[in-house]
Amino acid sequence: MAGNRVLVPLSDTVTVRQTVSYAVRSGLEDADSLEVHLVVALPHDTEVPEGDEQREEANQLLARARRWLAEDAGDADVTVESAVLGDDEYLFGPRDYADAFEEYADEHGVDLVVIDPEYKPGVTSSILQPLERELDAAGLSYDEAAVERPARHERLVGEGTERFDRYFALFWISFGFYLVLGDPTYWFDLVTGVAVAGIVSASLANVTFSFPLDRIESPIRTVRFAFYVPYLIWEIVKANVAISVVILRPSMPIAPTITRVNTRVRSGLPLLALANSITLTPGTLTVRANDQRLIVHTLIPSAREDLFDGSLERAVRFVFNGRESARIPSPRERGDAEIIGGDEL
Amino acid sequence: MIEAARFWAIVVLVVAGLFFTFVSAVGVIRLPDIYARAHTASQTDTLGAGLALAAVALALGWQQASVYTVLLLFFVFITNPTAAHAIARSAAETGIEPVTADSATDDGSPDSGTGAPDRNSSEPDAGSDVDGGETA
Repeated sequence: MAGNRVLVPLSDTVTVRQTVSYAVRSGLEDADSLEVHLVVALPHDTEVPEGDEQREEANQLLARARRWLAEDAGDADVTVESAVLGDDEYLFGPRDYADAFEEYADEHGVDLVVIDPEYKPGVTSSILQPLERELDAAGLSYDEAAVERPARHERLVGEGTERFDRYFALFWISFGFYLVLGDPTYWFDLVTGVAVAGIVSASLANVTFSFPLDRIESPIRTVRFAFYVPYLIWEIVKANVAISVVILRPSMPIAPTITRVNTRVRSGLPLLALANSITLTPGTLTVRANDQRLIVHTLIPSAREDLFDGSLERAVRFVFNGRESARIPSPRERGDAEIIGGDEL
Repeated sequence: MIEAARFWAIVVLVVAGLFFTFVSAVGVIRLPDIYARAHTASQTDTLGAGLALAAVALALGWQQASVYTVLLLFFVFITNPTAAHAIARSAAETGIEPVTADSATDDGSPDSGTGAPDRNSSEPDAGSDVDGGETA
């Protein structure tokens, strides 16, 4: 009988060890030989400065997983392959991961993906549910590893410095906001501000940031965001004028279309910023946001062209990922923009 | 001199804000369906409210209250697209099909106003196939 071939995507979680043994156990249940493909998917291409470090971590994880496999397999017939995926492209959302896994699975004839329930590639938050949906869509069968995991709150509490950064950042954000509303020169407001900011950061720091803060990167992002706002306002003014002209013309030359744009921004705050910016600009309206796939209603052709040129997407990438990553092809050039019928909503 | 310039700047900002709010109202009446109307409704919030609040900030001068107007604008800019998206999304989930350029050219010109109300309230049964279509 031909052996099973399973694909196990790894990430550094508390349950990764159990996932590996589950893959071996379940794989050997109905076959006498097993081929395990261990892969680590990197979220960003390794061209970025921290790329080497990520690559190194990925290789260490793979080496550890190989040892675990050898331990679990005993004398059963288990062969191991390992690979690092996504080091030459950006994997932004669950869909990209599913695509990468599918490509790998096709190449190596893998028929089952065993997923760690806590699977958390790179630095994004858990993507298990959307990933399963995308694997379904890609026609790849998967199995969620049966693992025992520690209670969730243990995971939420980050490491020492990271936790401190969260409290620190949230404290100053809330303190600053309090003083904007109050009077920064009045001692009473300063004292109550410290108290309020302390309570806010102590109680909410763990849920405020979905993304680990970086001591250098996060302030830079805030500064870049300050550059983004005037740009966005300028875009809004331009679009407002264009739409006003169309509405006030007696013939009202509108050409509404429904378009689908696959964006290349990370889920969470960047995607929110992009979708909101698209909606804020008159002429384009985000109707649906399924992960990175935005369904956008456009009112006039020029607004659609602007959307397909992806200037807002570049700007959002500039804010969150820096100038390097802003230089990507427009959605039109990538083939990520298309006009779809109204019935496909 | 500076006072006069400030006065006229305030007048210009208020008038421009009123203009965009007016255009937005005209658009809500003229545009054919709920999706198109959501576009123009956001004009009121962005430039309409934005210019009016800028005028308020300028009129109040450099004091605490003008900081509030900036904050106000900031929150309008966050909540407005969220609300517009929520409306459009629920419209899509209820199964309202948008008037598109193709469907509009079938009957000559984009139907302005008259056909719209039926369109928004019709098709109560179309919602059932929306969920199926979404995952595809």
